[in-house]
Amino acid sequence: MALLEVTDLKTYFRTDDGVVRAVDGVSFTVDKGQTLGIVGESGSGKSVTCLTIMGLNPRRSAMTSGEALWKGEDLLSASPRRLREIRGNEIAMIFQDPMTSLNPVHKIGHQLAEAMRLHEDVSAKTARARAVELLKAVGIPRAERRLDDYPHQFSGGMRQRVMIAMALINNPDLLIADEPTTALDVTTQAQILTLIEKLQAEFGSAVIMITHDLGVVAEIADDVVVMYAAEVAEKGNVNQIFKKPHHPYTWGLMGSLPRLDADTERLVQIQGQPPSLLRPPTGCRFHPRCPYVMPVCKEVDPELAPVSDDPGHLQACHLDEETKNREAAKLLAGMMAEAT
Amino acid sequence: MATQASETEQPQLELKGDELLVVENLKKHFPVTRGIIFQKEIASVKAVDGVSFAIREGETLGVVGESGCGKSTMARCIMKLLEPTSGVVRFRGHDITRLSRAEMRPFRREMMMIFQDPYASLNPRKRVGFIVAEALQVHKLGTEAEIKRRVQELLEVVGLNPEHYNRFPHEFSGGQRQRIGVARALAVNPKLIVCDEPVSALDVSVQAQILNLLKDLQRDFGLTYIFIAHDLNVVRHISDRVMVMYLGQAVETAERHELYLEPKHPYTGALLSAVPIPDPEVGRNRKRIVLEGDVPSPMNPPTACRFHPRCPRFVEGHCDVEEPALVHRGGSAAHTAKCHYPLERWPMTEAEMRRAGTATPAA
Repeated sequence: MALLEVTDLKTYFRTDDGVVRAVDGVSFTVDKGQTLGIVGESGSGKSVTCLTIMGLNPRRSAMTSGEALWKGEDLLSASPRRLREIRGNEIAMIFQDPMTSLNPVHKIGHQLAEAMRLHEDVSAKTARARAVELLKAVGIPRAERRLDDYPHQFSGGMRQRVMIAMALINNPDLLIADEPTTALDVTTQAQILTLIEKLQAEFGSAVIMITHDLGVVAEIADDVVVMYAAEVAEKGNVNQIFKKPHHPYTWGLMGSLPRLDADTERLVQIQGQPPSLLRPPTGCRFHPRCPYVMPVCKEVDPELAPVSDDPGHLQACHLDEETKNREAAKLLAGMMAEAT
Repeated sequence: MATQASETEQPQLELKGDELLVVENLKKHFPVTRGIIFQKEIASVKAVDGVSFAIREGETLGVVGESGCGKSTMARCIMKLLEPTSGVVRFRGHDITRLSRAEMRPFRREMMMIFQDPYASLNPRKRVGFIVAEALQVHKLGTEAEIKRRVQELLEVVGLNPEHYNRFPHEFSGGQRQRIGVARALAVNPKLIVCDEPVSALDVSVQAQILNLLKDLQRDFGLTYIFIAHDLNVVRHISDRVMVMYLGQAVETAERHELYLEPKHPYTGALLSAVPIPDPEVGRNRKRIVLEGDVPSPMNPPTACRFHPRCPRFVEGHCDVEEPALVHRGGSAAHTAKCHYPLERWPMTEAEMRRAGTATPAA
């Protein structure tokens, strides 16, 4: 059984302007010890998907449907009390902004110990010892002394490590990392990614990595979900997605990346802006920006269907496979040819 | 003002005469004071500490480094938004370092800036037409009608609808706002545009649009860019030459291909190895060189080579005693690096780097 099985997840928000369909029918599974990468532009629904699973959406305006089975138990219909038991214990989350996700008026040690003592009946001393252990594990020097420091005494990278330590303090089975490295420099990003990989190997946790950086996904994910305008555009394992992308949006994302290992005079750009989720385009949501748009795209929303010769690889696009194979090959060949 | 007597080193600049901008030994130190009435300077933050470079007309110089390395402060000193502590900035041969505001005005038309955050750099209470026209009005370039026509033309050049003249910034998305920022910078036909992280707040697809736009504009208007970013992929894409900064100093400068294919400074190597590559095969087979710790405080930078506490090639008794000079390394004459033990080849793993560091010193 999969650790987490999300089926047809929908999250709508009531706003003054109407209903925002932030997540509109997303399905994926995460197995034990596996890393799932969710990529997409801002506003594509990556973060809301995870917040919904964690039960962290505002209760008054959010409407959810679908299923999120955590070890067979539906999280969407779980009581707030049960969710509190799971959150931070079995499922932990690292938020994007390390500057705002720590409480500025409490010492780091207090915040770490709190995360542990909420879930387990341990003495303050044990919790403190565990906090030191975790801070050491995430590579914070002089951990014993730094426990009594406040968040502002840490740099951005260090704060992100504290967040990771806090997320890992109860040995979660699943770690959800929402853009954990976006606010950081490349060198710090490398430190954090290496750390997540190491800890994953050590504790055997599964990881959901939300990011807009295809490079990060290529390096650490096993499976990849590409989201566009609240829907899944393409889904598969990392090699399928990067070696044989099947959706024009994925091509666009890959083409628009300037790369260290390739030399491109002009980037392939995706025209226009991501659509408003208040009134998403009819048919395929990508059609207003898609260079391969056909009449059918404007009317019929394509189903997420397996690629014929590769059943694990799902994509939602009306283009025929021949064209797709040809275009994908062309895109990758272009990248290879330019790699000098 | 003449350059101050050289201290430990005086980086040499090879001037060819067609340089648009020459920066010599630029320093910006921010005083740290204590006391309320009698403010005593107890220390200084050496944000920029002796940077020299030259840019030819039509060229793009990329500047990379971690946050806090002084990239933005340097840009602000060049633009004279900050008063440099010492050093010389020469624009088209004129020393602009000590000019008064009034004397500076004619030069302001020729140097413009694009800022990082398109949400914070546009006045939310002014209409787009006003924002773009402001520089034209300040410099009195044309009548009302002419200015309006010019603004609409500019909006079109950067890919916006000229009819959006009367809209407010909040009506635009991040990418569109950055286009407004670009239109504003272009308004007075500048020669030099300093781009301070212009795409780091944008999504990849929009980022590609802005990068392509900047390249097109450079081709069409013969612009010269200083392009500051922390994303090495982006810098490589847009630059002709790249300068790597660390703690207020330039540690390596080279022509783009050379820097990325044969980096000489261990810091450049570490930066390059840390960039994620969007290809699962290439990315996973490569070993990241993970630097320990954070960038030290520029208030109290490490002695001698500033990179030595984090450097995998650190040699005790040399790197922490004698400051390396910024000298020619590598193939072409324009390739300079500030290191006693430059990398012999690339790519290299961290272990190889360490081993090589203990070998005989180069030069």
